[in-house]
Amino acid sequence: MTFEKFSQGESLLHRTDTRVKLVSAISLTLVIALCQSFYTSLAGLTVGLLLLTFSRLNLRFVFWRLMLVNSFIAFLWITLPLTYPGDALCVVGPVTLSKQGVALAALISIKANAIILFFITLLATSTVVDLGHGLESLRLPKKLCLILLFSYRYIFVVHQEYHRLLRAAKLRCFKPRTNLHTYRTYAYLFGMTLVKSWNRAERVGQAMMLRGFHGRFYSLEEKTVTKVDVIFLIIMISAAIGFAYIELMK
Amino acid sequence: MHISEGVLSTPILIGGGVLTVLGLSIGLKKIDYDRVMEVSILASTFFVASLIHVPLGPGSVHLILNGLLGMVLGWASFPAIFIALLLQAFFFQYGGLVVLGVNTFNMAAPAVLCFYLFGPLVSPLVKDPQRRALAGFAGGFFSVFFSGILMSSALALSDSGFFSIAQMVVAAHLPVMIIEGFITMFTVSFLAKIKPEILQS
Amino acid sequence: MPPLGSLVALHNVTFCYPGRKHPILDKVDFTLHEKQRVGLIGPNGCGKTSLFHIIMGLLRPQTGTVFFKDTQLNRKKDFKILHEKVGLLFQDADDQLFSPTVLEDVAFGPLNLGASPAEARERACQTLQELGLSKLEQRITHQLSGGEKKMVSLATVMVMQPDALLLDEPSNNLDMGTRARLIEILNELDLAILIISHDWSLLADTCEDIYAIDKGKVTQSDKAYLHDHRHAHPYGEQPHRHRNRIKLTSDQKKEER
Repeated sequence: MTFEKFSQGESLLHRTDTRVKLVSAISLTLVIALCQSFYTSLAGLTVGLLLLTFSRLNLRFVFWRLMLVNSFIAFLWITLPLTYPGDALCVVGPVTLSKQGVALAALISIKANAIILFFITLLATSTVVDLGHGLESLRLPKKLCLILLFSYRYIFVVHQEYHRLLRAAKLRCFKPRTNLHTYRTYAYLFGMTLVKSWNRAERVGQAMMLRGFHGRFYSLEEKTVTKVDVIFLIIMISAAIGFAYIELMK
Repeated sequence: MHISEGVLSTPILIGGGVLTVLGLSIGLKKIDYDRVMEVSILASTFFVASLIHVPLGPGSVHLILNGLLGMVLGWASFPAIFIALLLQAFFFQYGGLVVLGVNTFNMAAPAVLCFYLFGPLVSPLVKDPQRRALAGFAGGFFSVFFSGILMSSALALSDSGFFSIAQMVVAAHLPVMIIEGFITMFTVSFLAKIKPEILQS
Repeated sequence: MPPLGSLVALHNVTFCYPGRKHPILDKVDFTLHEKQRVGLIGPNGCGKTSLFHIIMGLLRPQTGTVFFKDTQLNRKKDFKILHEKVGLLFQDADDQLFSPTVLEDVAFGPLNLGASPAEARERACQTLQELGLSKLEQRITHQLSGGEKKMVSLATVMVMQPDALLLDEPSNNLDMGTRARLIEILNELDLAILIISHDWSLLADTCEDIYAIDKGKVTQSDKAYLHDHRHAHPYGEQPHRHRNRIKLTSDQKKEER
């Protein structure tokens, strides 16, 4: 299973300093998440799409990712027009579609997709290790960053461990169904994975202590902010301020 | 189980953020450096749990297991869940940064509640396996129940027009509660038998 | 079509790991007949385990077909009939065992095949007894020794009453006693066996035919050569035997003289 689908590439966005991208993503997301107007959210979506062209990511992957993430939005489209109080947009038999409901669903869709695009282009283009170090230099608590880096490191190991157990169970003709035998089996598979992870944590902790670890990871790469990074940051912050201006002027 | 970015109102986002920062600071204070590795690997294990799909009728649901996490980690559930959700956002773009506070609180607060309510009942000191199993079921069941309530309250408080959706969210959680109850029950019994120290927190 | 009387057959199978230039298995034909006992040797990374995983349907070859008896297995679903009749013993027993107690783990397979809990328990007990493992019944799988885990995982496969057994390096990390017991058990079984091993003398003791995998090809090394060993090991001064059960052909016997 590949988790970091978008982190590999040679585009401008892949090369930009992770801290710069983190600050940009947080400010853009904040403004768009809080805005209430169509103009602002559409401006956000436009910037998101622009960033997408700069990122030179595989558009098909991005499209499928957007579809997947939009499942909650789809749920809103099914329910909001029917349940949101407001004027009738149209009446189909016993069902009344609310104008305000449709408008709200549309607004949320635009906002959510703009933010997902910021996320994909600005954050998913970095590796988690870079993000961890970036968050640390942005003053996220050190312990929290350590947990982020360690968990990231072991997700693949734990995932593989679980899959090996599941595979062996399936070879012994385990067919998942809606019954207690199935739930018990999943519980045991997960429990065994948990026990193995627990034991591994103990061993790794000891091994790290023996190698002189005391609470800090040192990055081998010296990251310096280049001129391009500064210009990029200025443009992104201006965009965020611009969004806020549109929102307040409306 | 998470709310997308762009749905909730500003006060709710801020409220969730503040509560999560509080929970995180308590949680981090309770983890000394010797336990960082343990919390991290459990965070990844619970991330993996969210990738496990178990059948439910014709469809399937993924595991949450925040009740179990609470019983094992206590207050450290806050950082563990925060990191697991952050990684989900990085990897799959589920959830998001601004809504991360609310989503973390919705999952972690019930976990901590389960730690206080059911943690003592599943500890290895309890000698009656049936009582432990029952407490395990209750932990899995109620943690998801509370998460559903918190999630729908966040929606309903954001916009009164979300009220019907909030009700549907609670209803959709009902079958998940039962499954989580059974899985947590079996896992707790399993752990009590083969690695009781995990339940000792 | 698979050869007559074959239990499992691979026909023209090519498998290449993504991102690698050379296929790890290149147009391989291989047949395991009913009750045939085959050893499979080859250097690390030559594709022995991949071959097992292709037989079990865990890996899907780029070309070629897998047959079980006379049935061609095309889709993932088709392999279910094979899983009921062919057991795989993983290299690492820890990948296989996950239930709290030994008895529950052994009973897991029969439960999946539709046995009632009482039947499953009975079959599990019986299998454990046949393998001389009855005293482990209530033990916690996770806390068993390496050798015990290996024997229990053999029990979890045997309880399914398979027609064939695939064993991936079964004697790895076993002490002499457990290894001898394993060989004894394997020789008592009346079913087809396919063993991957670097342990030559285990293969010599348990198999009739030896195949080698090298450079993507599977070839039969049909001739046994008699040769002398001079070797030393700790406790070598204790009286002991090195078993050699390969039957010599008359030519070789002459050479020996």
